[in-house]
Amino acid sequence: MPETLKVLVVEDSKATRELLASALQALAGLEVVTVVSGFEALKVLPRHRFALIITDINMPDINGLELINFVKKNPHYKDTPLFVVTTEGRTQDRERGLQLGASEYVIKPFEPPALVELVKKHLKL
Amino acid sequence: MTERRPVAEFVAEATEIVEGLSRELLGLDERRGEEPDPERLNAIFRAAHSLKGLASLFGHDRIARLAHVLEDALDALRLGKVAADDALIDAFIDGVDVLSGLLAMASRGETDGPAAERALALAQHIETLVAPAPEKPPALHELGVDKAVLNVLTEYEEHRLRENVKKGVALYMVRAVFSLEDFDQKLTALNAALKPLAEVVSTLPSAQASDEARIAFDLLVACRQPAADLEAVIRPFGATHALLSASVAPRPSAPVPVPVTAGPTAEVSLKSLSQTVRVDIARLDRLMAAVGDLLLTRTNIKRFAEGARAAGGGLHPMWAQELSREARALERKLDDLQKGILEVRMVPLGQVFDRLARLVRRLLRESGKEIDFEISGGDVELDKLIVEELSDPLMHLLRNAIDHGIEAPDKRASKGKPRRGRIRLRAANSGNHVVIEVGDDGAGMDDDRIRDEAVSRGLLTTKKAADLQRTDLLNLVFLPGFSTRRQVSELSGRGVGLDVVKTNLGRLSGLIDIVSERGQGTTFVLTLPLTLAIIRALVVQSAGRTYAVPMSSVLEIVAVRPSELRTVEHRQMLSVRGQTVPFVRLSQLFKLPETPVDLHYVVLVGLAQHRLGIAVDHLLGQQDVVTKPLSARLRDVPGLAGATDLGDRRAVLVLDVPALVSEIVRPQASP
Amino acid sequence: MSTFEQLIDQFLYRPDEPGLPSLQWLADAPRPESTGVEAPQEFLAFSLTDETYAVPIATVREIVKVPVITEVPRAPKELLGVMNLRGEVLPVYDVRARLLLAGGVQPITGPGDVPAQARIVLVKSESGDAGIITDGVEGVVRLLPSLTEPPPPGGTEKPFLAGLSRRGERLYILLDVEKVLE
Repeated sequence: MPETLKVLVVEDSKATRELLASALQALAGLEVVTVVSGFEALKVLPRHRFALIITDINMPDINGLELINFVKKNPHYKDTPLFVVTTEGRTQDRERGLQLGASEYVIKPFEPPALVELVKKHLKL
Repeated sequence: MTERRPVAEFVAEATEIVEGLSRELLGLDERRGEEPDPERLNAIFRAAHSLKGLASLFGHDRIARLAHVLEDALDALRLGKVAADDALIDAFIDGVDVLSGLLAMASRGETDGPAAERALALAQHIETLVAPAPEKPPALHELGVDKAVLNVLTEYEEHRLRENVKKGVALYMVRAVFSLEDFDQKLTALNAALKPLAEVVSTLPSAQASDEARIAFDLLVACRQPAADLEAVIRPFGATHALLSASVAPRPSAPVPVPVTAGPTAEVSLKSLSQTVRVDIARLDRLMAAVGDLLLTRTNIKRFAEGARAAGGGLHPMWAQELSREARALERKLDDLQKGILEVRMVPLGQVFDRLARLVRRLLRESGKEIDFEISGGDVELDKLIVEELSDPLMHLLRNAIDHGIEAPDKRASKGKPRRGRIRLRAANSGNHVVIEVGDDGAGMDDDRIRDEAVSRGLLTTKKAADLQRTDLLNLVFLPGFSTRRQVSELSGRGVGLDVVKTNLGRLSGLIDIVSERGQGTTFVLTLPLTLAIIRALVVQSAGRTYAVPMSSVLEIVAVRPSELRTVEHRQMLSVRGQTVPFVRLSQLFKLPETPVDLHYVVLVGLAQHRLGIAVDHLLGQQDVVTKPLSARLRDVPGLAGATDLGDRRAVLVLDVPALVSEIVRPQASP
Repeated sequence: MSTFEQLIDQFLYRPDEPGLPSLQWLADAPRPESTGVEAPQEFLAFSLTDETYAVPIATVREIVKVPVITEVPRAPKELLGVMNLRGEVLPVYDVRARLLLAGGVQPITGPGDVPAQARIVLVKSESGDAGIITDGVEGVVRLLPSLTEPPPPGGTEKPFLAGLSRRGERLYILLDVEKVLE
């Protein structure tokens, strides 16, 4: 039996977090681990094997770019695809995010099914 | 509102300060070329500082601004960041001249004059003298900051870095290694310790996996204090630091000649003058509506710009890029503008509390009851429009408390309570809302009397009344025409019932709840949004129609399969983490064509302690919107707070969450 | 059309552009010969199904092409919905049912559903300005008060009428704006 794929959602907005989690669970059958900050993400990363990471940019402790940098330069996680989902449409942040290795940069508001499709595409589901 | 004190008082005090400033400056002028006496500099700095405070207190913005610029310049001088060269001293002496001119204008009640123009020019001149030349922003990579660190800075962090560099603050890279278990607490503590002397611009978790149980962080720190102080703070954390760039004293640019016109001679008169402006709230509304329209234009331009870039053909790439850049600039300015207008609209509740206090004290004298009246939270700020509309409902509740709530002193004594009753009016911020409480320590509401009254008025059957829980029973007092008081009092017998209070609050998107214990007292709890002018809305779709839900009342969004719903007493219920919440499909509520779905997107809304799950077909995202009122003709249509435009020039209806919550969660008063 | 052209089109398309730019031409129009006896009054004439109705020109604020109208749930059935006119939210009514005309209340949800001639006559009113959807605007007519008669007795539509007026062969039914929108 194939193991259920796990997705890490890093997002400080409760509504968005739940929305992402519900959409990923309901529409793609993924197991979702949600955390509210970059710090929490750093804590849970070693405890699971994530197939995908979705992160916000503006968070209270470390920002999403710092998290991408950490993930993409770390030998354990560097191959995990990473999406940014953020309200910040600032081009510079976007360019930096993609440069640092994010696979997709999604600006809120987004249509959950469309995002799930994008996720499926990357996970080849 | 704070009353403006007489202008003469201001002019007198300000003149004294300016005279002192002038005396000290002359001392500085006589010793040009020498190292200025720190004490003298400090004295001048303090004078400019006091003048700034005084002028802004009295609303003399021009004087305040010039004093502010002088203060900043003197501060830089005081801290040795700029040199006391001739250009700067000349500018200071001009400053005294202009300030005298402005004071003379103020005393004559004039708003325009040569001094005003000079003030502006001079302020700019002084700013350029002390500011680093703006045409050469510091290149960040030359500061020794690692490219890898620069790459992970958000635009804001980069801005903070630049600001610090601009101010000549030294940059350090602090490295700290913590255990994976408690690094967040440690980092929070380190941040707190650094705060008094430094700004942490960025916290970068190091990607090099040194060992499994530990994690290293590189903190980019701008430290205003000597390195030894930094060292002392970080040592207990086992952290090390490296200097990236030392503090730099920005060099003053070449002096720019300032046009000097003869200052007008001071002529003191006592005409009042103020530079604060009273503005009709309707004008601010129009301004806000204009900003709302601009937000839409911005959305369109953004879409246009993005589309133009993506489409490629048709438009030169340079143009597309330029358009994107301008669109971003527009967006930032609009944010500022929007924030500015919202700030202007915000006034402290104290304005209405003070008025209420006067009235309450009069009523207390008339009532013959012994009551202490306590007010707190007058500094809590709300939209002016809401504050104004609150005075009537609050007055009504206070009258109620004085008249019905607090018992007569003898009766209180017989119940073992202190003879003096107590009425409290309190306000506090609570997230996106303001909570106002009107409470008394009186007799509390009488269930039996409410029940009898409701039955005798035919609002409820005896059986249904007997089944009602206390909270639901209490809420019956908000029904039109409900009054448990048999004797009409001089004080509150105005024919205005609690139903009107509730309706008025509803119009402000607010909610009212009652907490009442028999013998202990009654508290009315009002939950209000901070502003109605511009709101963040969740855009949803149901049966093909688009609606906006104010985010201020959205708690969370959950996806639920129809099979997970339960039916309790003909009502559909939803379970959210063990809590049972009433559920309604928006399409069903609004009598729209319903189609079966595999998954409900449920917008869980909440106000005060009430929860409601509103199911919609699609979530389209979030947007800042300006809600426009529906026509007075549609006042009786329930559940709608207004309409807005999401950028496509259609009218999109905004749901009235408090009304929907009341409609569905509250008991229906039907026999 | 390229994506880019579509974008420009969307950007420039203004569904709320008024059909008739303003009523200013009226003021500038040459006055008819004075009858010497009485001054004619000016009305805006429009058609609803097969009849021609008229309202005093002073009560007309604007005439607009039919924009996208947003239906208002749980509103009375006469209310077609609300429209967004340059940022103002205005109710739009279909009064045909009240006037017992065939055609009645048809679901109109957008510019595509309405005939090209249809216009919304935006009237000023005490209880809030409102739009009335019409099958077409005929123009301004000058009617003599002396040729205006009270509405015929009987008929459920009577309370909504201010009278009947003739001009040559044409019969104009004068609408009481306040009452028909009540």
